[in-house]
Amino acid sequence: MNQHPAMWGHPMTPHQAFNAHTAFPLATPNPMRNQHASSPVSHTQQPLVTGTSVLGLKYKDGVMLAADNLASYGSLARFRDIQRLHPLGNHTCLAVSGDMSDYQYLKKELDGLLREEEALSLSDSHPALHPSQIYAFLANLFYARRSKVNPIWNAILVGGWDATKEESFLGYVDLLGTTYSSPTLATGFGSHIAQPLLREAFEKKAGIDGKGELLTAEEAEALLNECMKVLFYRDARSLNKYQIATVTKEGVQISESKSAETQWGFAEALRGYGAQQQ
Amino acid sequence: MSIMEYNGGSVVAMVGKDCVAIATDMRLGQQSIGVAHNFEKVFPINDKLYYGLPGLASDVYSLREHLRFRVNMYRMKEEREITPKTFTHLLSSTLYEKRFGPWFLEPVVAGLPAPTEMEPHPKPFISTMDTIGCITTPKDFAVAGTATDKLYGVAEGLWEPDLEPEDLFETISQTLLNAVDRDALSGWGAVVHVITHDKVITRTLRSRMD
Amino acid sequence: MAMHAERSAALHELTSAPIQHAFNPYEDNGGTILAIAGKDFSVIAGDTRQSQGYSIQTRYARKVWQLTDRAVLATNGFAADGNNFVKKVKQRLEWYEHAHHKQMPLKSIARMIQTILYGKRFFPYYVYNILGGIEEDGTGAVYSYDPVGTYERESCRAAGAAQSILQPFLDNQIYFKNQTPEPGAEPFIPGNLPLSTVLALVVDSFTSATERHIEVGDGLEVYVVMKKGRPTDDLVGEGKLAPGMAVEELDALGEGDGEKTFLVTRSLKRD
Repeated sequence: MNQHPAMWGHPMTPHQAFNAHTAFPLATPNPMRNQHASSPVSHTQQPLVTGTSVLGLKYKDGVMLAADNLASYGSLARFRDIQRLHPLGNHTCLAVSGDMSDYQYLKKELDGLLREEEALSLSDSHPALHPSQIYAFLANLFYARRSKVNPIWNAILVGGWDATKEESFLGYVDLLGTTYSSPTLATGFGSHIAQPLLREAFEKKAGIDGKGELLTAEEAEALLNECMKVLFYRDARSLNKYQIATVTKEGVQISESKSAETQWGFAEALRGYGAQQQ
Repeated sequence: MSIMEYNGGSVVAMVGKDCVAIATDMRLGQQSIGVAHNFEKVFPINDKLYYGLPGLASDVYSLREHLRFRVNMYRMKEEREITPKTFTHLLSSTLYEKRFGPWFLEPVVAGLPAPTEMEPHPKPFISTMDTIGCITTPKDFAVAGTATDKLYGVAEGLWEPDLEPEDLFETISQTLLNAVDRDALSGWGAVVHVITHDKVITRTLRSRMD
Repeated sequence: MAMHAERSAALHELTSAPIQHAFNPYEDNGGTILAIAGKDFSVIAGDTRQSQGYSIQTRYARKVWQLTDRAVLATNGFAADGNNFVKKVKQRLEWYEHAHHKQMPLKSIARMIQTILYGKRFFPYYVYNILGGIEEDGTGAVYSYDPVGTYERESCRAAGAAQSILQPFLDNQIYFKNQTPEPGAEPFIPGNLPLSTVLALVVDSFTSATERHIEVGDGLEVYVVMKKGRPTDDLVGEGKLAPGMAVEELDALGEGDGEKTFLVTRSLKRD
């Protein structure tokens, strides 16, 4: 910037104003600073219609995700045919727990993003978004919203296949913007009930460093079926009707809804709980 | 306000080779105010058995007298000295008597059991318990008081098995001093007792007084 | 009767008030970090466990980050804040490199971190930072911070879940607190220990913390930054590392001025 007295009072052209040595745009004014909202801003303060825990597991050919079909309204099993597994493009799939209206907003947002990406790929050699990029987008979105104290009330698993690196992807992100990955993941109640079962089965074959051979598709599905059954037995907000998504290099495949075979015979002999005494 | 942190203070005990050591700081405070620097929290039962009572200072006096009475009764009835293990259980049940209105103390016991016919080479003994008398008998060291986590850190790093009395003295002294220097509620001097078969070495340590 | 009715109404109001379940934007993800400065090197370490309450979220989450060829940052506290804080710091470092055609010096990174932290003074990053590396004069340095930017250069610092377990041990072993040399012997000088001793102390510190703290464990990552031209054989030489440890040299991020960064890894107990 020219500080010569002869230049005082003369506004600079944008070209002159450009400073190659500025490392941080400190001087940019914030246009939102002086605006007042015309009505009270409403934030999600608590989840209302909720989906219970979801599970994720890395196996030999990719990733498997599992979620049941229930959306609860408090303790009421309100919607019993909700799909909580959502494909994004060819090689990514979400499994969503938490608030279902926030989930629908997310679906709309992400589908819009992917539509734009697809449009670009039609006219150009625009590469498809990798699972890790979609995951990064979600992590940024969730963290930005929690930083506005207006969280997106979900815990999400992102499963995918990275076609470039030829490897599977599995990550977790939640309403606080907390992120992590692990070969086996579970949200909510599932992190207490199913995660130990998943880790045990995974480490038994792949070793604690995960460097051994991974579970086969059959073994992985059997393991998820078992976990969904155990969750159905003990999670009061679950439903014995669930789907499993597989993400491999072939793409995303989401199963029809299915049920685990349950055994309630032992309950006949139980006495002393609830209304029925003796 | 936590009653366990009202007066401040810490105790640590360690096992060595045919010896045990127990050490305490000397601070007595009222929350952040320092009141006295001669408040010892470790007391002898006999010349082979010591115990420390970090916690609420008023309870230190009361429980010490209570224990003196009970140990004297034991001596008169049994006509022998109480063993460290028996004393630990006596202390434990004394604490549990007040299960729902406890003594605010976390005792630490250190002793050398006398050789008997059954047990000609008894092992050095330390124990500690919570405010209601739940006992743990570690093989290495026991810590209690407001500097508990700091004591754990230093002790875990410095202690090793089979220390001779002088090395055990250095280890327990360094452990206590470095732990209480990072604790605002402990410090203001320290006392160390090293119990061996033929004598008890008692030394007062100079330390930071801030 | 009226009084009775009034009282019970007041009581009813007290007990039936809706329980405010306000959103809490913070969380504690456990773990612990530690850094020690040497004469011509700096060691920055952290465990790899990330937890929430009694649950282990993952056994491998990064807490220690290579920023430049002479700076490494360790973050601890709320993991989401930590990750996003590091992202912001890295972005500012990249802008600096574009503007000045060199990497930011350590002491400038140290001041920048305080500015970024204080910039969120009224909605702080819930993160305890420790910055380690090599100063422009070639000395090893450690800077430690609180969540709102208070900072200080030191010879060593522990932070996080096991800070209270580790710091008094480091006071004793690094600062020689409560130790006096034998009469006539050389005085102890802090910040002058050989690398092998420092590395052994770091490993002992983390195994101790793992033993006594439930939020510490799974894995250990130790970054070693060395002054340019310093011999490296005391780290990479045959048989210099304890069994079960692995070391790799990390690629230079910038032009490669001569400073070297190594990553030493080791497993910790998983219980």
